[in-house]
Amino acid sequence: MIQLSVPRDATAQAVFGARGIVKQFGPVDVLRGIDLELRPGRILTLMGENGAGKSTMFRILAGQLQPTAGELTLNGEPLRLSSPHAAHAHGIHLVPQEPMLLPELTVAETMFLGRLPMTGAIFRHVDWKDVRRRAQAVLRMLDLDIDIDRCAKTLSIAQLQLVECAKALLHDCRIILFDEPTSPLTSHEVENLFTIMRRLAADGCTLSFISHRTEEVLEISDDVAVLRDGRLVDSAERGSFDRARLLSTMVGRTLRDIPRRETSYVTEETVLEVEDLASEPSFRRIGFQLRRGEILGLAGLVGAGRTEIAETIFGVRRPTAGRVRLAGEWVTGKPCHDLIRKGLVYVPEDRARHGAVLAMTIAQNVTSGLLERVRQSAGLLSGADETRLGATAVRDFRVRCAGLDQPLRELSGGNQQKVVFSKWIATGPKVAILDEPTRGVDVGSKEEIYELIEAMARDGMAVLVISSETEELVRLCDRVLSLYEGELVAELTGERITAAAVSASYLGSANVENAT
Amino acid sequence: MPARRPVVTPRFAMTRELMLVAVTLGLTVMVGLLNHDFIGAQNLRFMLLNSVVLSLVALGQTLVIAMRGIDLSVAPILGLAAMVCGLLAQTHGLSLAAALPLALSIGLVLGTINGLLVATMDIPPIVVTLGTYSLYSGLTFLYSDGTQVDAVPPTFAAFGNGHLLGIVPVPTPVVVLLVVLALCWYVLRHTGFGRAVLAVGNNASAAYAAGLPVTWVRIRVYALSGTLAAFAGLMFLCYTGSATVTAGTGDHIELQSIAVSLIGGTAIAGGRGNLIGTVLGSLFLSVVLTALVFLHVPPIWYSAGEGLMILAAVQAGIGRRRGARA
Amino acid sequence: MSAWERSLLILLVIVTTGFGLEVPGFFDDISGFLSMTSNFLPFGIVALGLSLVIFTGGIDLSVGATASLAAVIAAQLWATMGLNIWVASLIGLAVGGVLGGINAAVIVFLRVEPLIATLATSFIYTSAAVAVAGDAPPSGFPDAFNSLGSGALGLGHFQLPYQLLLFLPLAVLFWLLVGRSAFGRKLVTVGYNSEAARYSGIRVPRVLAAAYVISGMMAALAGLVLSAYYSAARADMGDVLLLTTIAMVVLGGVSIFGGEGSMGGVIVAVLLLGLLRQGMLIAGFSDMVTSMLTGAILISSIAVRNLFSSRAGGFGRRLLAFVRRPAVAGTDITRHDAP
Repeated sequence: MIQLSVPRDATAQAVFGARGIVKQFGPVDVLRGIDLELRPGRILTLMGENGAGKSTMFRILAGQLQPTAGELTLNGEPLRLSSPHAAHAHGIHLVPQEPMLLPELTVAETMFLGRLPMTGAIFRHVDWKDVRRRAQAVLRMLDLDIDIDRCAKTLSIAQLQLVECAKALLHDCRIILFDEPTSPLTSHEVENLFTIMRRLAADGCTLSFISHRTEEVLEISDDVAVLRDGRLVDSAERGSFDRARLLSTMVGRTLRDIPRRETSYVTEETVLEVEDLASEPSFRRIGFQLRRGEILGLAGLVGAGRTEIAETIFGVRRPTAGRVRLAGEWVTGKPCHDLIRKGLVYVPEDRARHGAVLAMTIAQNVTSGLLERVRQSAGLLSGADETRLGATAVRDFRVRCAGLDQPLRELSGGNQQKVVFSKWIATGPKVAILDEPTRGVDVGSKEEIYELIEAMARDGMAVLVISSETEELVRLCDRVLSLYEGELVAELTGERITAAAVSASYLGSANVENAT
Repeated sequence: MPARRPVVTPRFAMTRELMLVAVTLGLTVMVGLLNHDFIGAQNLRFMLLNSVVLSLVALGQTLVIAMRGIDLSVAPILGLAAMVCGLLAQTHGLSLAAALPLALSIGLVLGTINGLLVATMDIPPIVVTLGTYSLYSGLTFLYSDGTQVDAVPPTFAAFGNGHLLGIVPVPTPVVVLLVVLALCWYVLRHTGFGRAVLAVGNNASAAYAAGLPVTWVRIRVYALSGTLAAFAGLMFLCYTGSATVTAGTGDHIELQSIAVSLIGGTAIAGGRGNLIGTVLGSLFLSVVLTALVFLHVPPIWYSAGEGLMILAAVQAGIGRRRGARA
Repeated sequence: MSAWERSLLILLVIVTTGFGLEVPGFFDDISGFLSMTSNFLPFGIVALGLSLVIFTGGIDLSVGATASLAAVIAAQLWATMGLNIWVASLIGLAVGGVLGGINAAVIVFLRVEPLIATLATSFIYTSAAVAVAGDAPPSGFPDAFNSLGSGALGLGHFQLPYQLLLFLPLAVLFWLLVGRSAFGRKLVTVGYNSEAARYSGIRVPRVLAAAYVISGMMAALAGLVLSAYYSAARADMGDVLLLTTIAMVVLGGVSIFGGEGSMGGVIVAVLLLGLLRQGMLIAGFSDMVTSMLTGAILISSIAVRNLFSSRAGGFGRRLLAFVRRPAVAGTDITRHDAP
């Protein structure tokens, strides 16, 4: 039984809810009237696609944002949370998606950030004894084996999240909201987190968590609420929802039969060969071949090592073993600028950090992949030529923008992604590695990007698609490789590529034959 | 379970302080063997005293750097405090008891101006303190109006060179430094303000989200830095018995204070501050420079020595390229 | 032309006409006016090179020491080894490049922060400069050389100072380099986001090395021009360069964090600060006061810019936050919304 220092009976047994929540950011409607109820001892999962409004809802629940209309309730009575601190006072804590990193402070101090207990009559000073005692106690409560004197920078993301969890308990918060906690975790770490969540729920805490991974949702949720375009479109209790129902309500149509591509453009010509590639500790013994016109998918959980494989092939990360061959030439360990010139490009997962420079204009981003392509006179870039290339890209990729001089950051996620695509595709590569190509992209642009990828294969490019969205892989790929904790565990081809099979293959559970 | 990692103590780098002490002692002994005067009482005293002014300035700088800032204006603040107190003492008989609050006030005001500009107007610290560097230098110049301080009253001289209460064999400035060091250490380690400084240096937005008054903390740190620099100016005046327009700025004490903080183990990226290391670093610098004199190394190489030491200190683990600069 | 550059240009016009009308001796004739530029163009030369470094998000604190060392080496080669002054100068330029290269090596290979690296090298270069200069710093260079610093080209009625003849093409060159060349584009990309630059195939170490080498060469050139101007090469000649040139670059609109800004702004800022200083000196103000004014302009220009930027109102809010502050690390929970 988890004993908290100050029992919060009032909130502990209360039903925390929201009534008619509307939220607008300027002209944009993010939430259009949401009613929710979070019950003690139960885990409510908030599901929805990107942009459905889940994070915004949580931030309102945690007092970080004020709703434009509607109210929060506690046992039916209106509850006003004017700030995150007011929320804390009522026992509500939000574990953010990205744990706040204070690298040089200790675990104990991070947990007490902003609210260090003070003591002393004349000279107020920090009561370190109290800090240590309480930090130790709460970590023990959760069975967490983390030394409170460690600097935060030595902890992994999973551990930081668990510390955030502990922090919630430390401040006697019994209503804990988790904003997409499982994205950066390995499957082991997810299990760990779920175990702790179950214990907290068993002890009467009210938990809610955001995820768009149906497998996880099915595993952990007592209640599910599905958001779509800012509205609550479905809510159900354990036992009355299954995968198909969740998916269809999230997206708005039945996905039982995801349309696969009719035509295949696979040729016989092998253009990329990966032999026994390893980069410890992320992955090992990776070997596959990629042919012209083929779209190969790489499936797996986050942390399985897929991005690391791409980065190693691309030359950003050092291989510890193995080799890579591009169009017959050995390119293992060569730096990325070399590979780009040889025809291998990588569209990274994190657009803002690695893919593009958001502060530069569209035209500048388009040409940044290969500046040599822009015509130069006496060493000076031709502005006219750059404009021409930019205009071509905008037209061919149907980028919606106000003008070529617009800074990239002003475009929507989908249009930004299209610009990044255009930058690389225009270099005419032989191989393109796409890492989460539709992350943060609105539904409409997603379709366009799928068509783009198909066109790339049709034009003879070899494409490696890394994706966490099973439907995407099913839709696009000729073959799917599955990665689990750094090793290849399955390969699916042709008809055997189904959503269920793909998911099963990388969860490390049942072998492929049994899954359909 | 996630793999275990070696435990890292938060008492940041005890090893760095020990390393500095060891190297300093080792160097002292080595040079002492070559030249016995080096380890004579007079020289030891000199090396200690010589490092006090820089240590005082560097303590403030360390706090600023720990908060991910930088303060280039400490040099003219030192100079202004020295000049004002010195001239008033020289021509108007200002007493030491009055000079102290005067100097501290000068530093407080000038430091607070720095803090306000950085914290409320969102100007990068390097730009602000670059600007105030010239502003405050100008003030010194204008105030002195061509004169300089050549003599100080006996009380001042005693403060800067005497022994505490005449009996304890430790020079007064050293005692003063130790007291200031203890105070700063206490503030950084045990007060809410000190912990807030580190929190802001680690991640200002996280600190803000957690409810810490980031703006106010920033202002106070720069105010503190200014105050310490001004106090160092008073100490400088008492120790050297003089003050010119180029006191502080001529030696580029602002750059030296940064150097010494880095040698002491404070990272330029902020987030942690090693005050004891800073003082040890200043002492180490003093020993090295004096050793160069004793070894008859031409003075021209002193500067190079400092530069190489900074690089060596940095190679030993801190100062590696990180994200945002000051 | 960006709004910032336009404001600077307007300020320049105001300052020039203001001084021209009010201060006798400022604008007696064109030749006299132009000859004033010889006093501050060395700063401008350094600013051109330093801008490249700041564009990448770095900084070069060693420009002053580099200028001194390169000039002193060139002067000694002429004085003690009898080398032709022009050949010695070319060697001096090369030395500047090498010194910049050392900076780059420390930053790239030893992975040291630019601030720290160039701080350390500035100490080392200063020492070296004093050592090379020796007891009797070289002086008394041939007139042909001195005219580079203080002489002028006679064009009909008026005199065009050689320094200006040197600076203007360089300014145009740098302007084109940053704004219109592939290298300039790469430079700015690295400053915005060096990781994204790397993933785009930009060879970041090369770009950085080029920036620091060029900065070193420009500093060396400035040192040579200064020694021509004074007809002497002293080890402390470059001391004065650092702070003013940083001010010129920042005032010119280049962000100290890298990525943003343009060369045009820097060139205007050079002229603005330079003419401002000259005007005040002629008007009788002391050197110190003009420095103070430079400092004040630097601070207020950034402050004004911040006030009018997209974060307008940020200042107001911050002031309010300061006024309404809760006790530090206390239990005040009535804090306003996070931004």
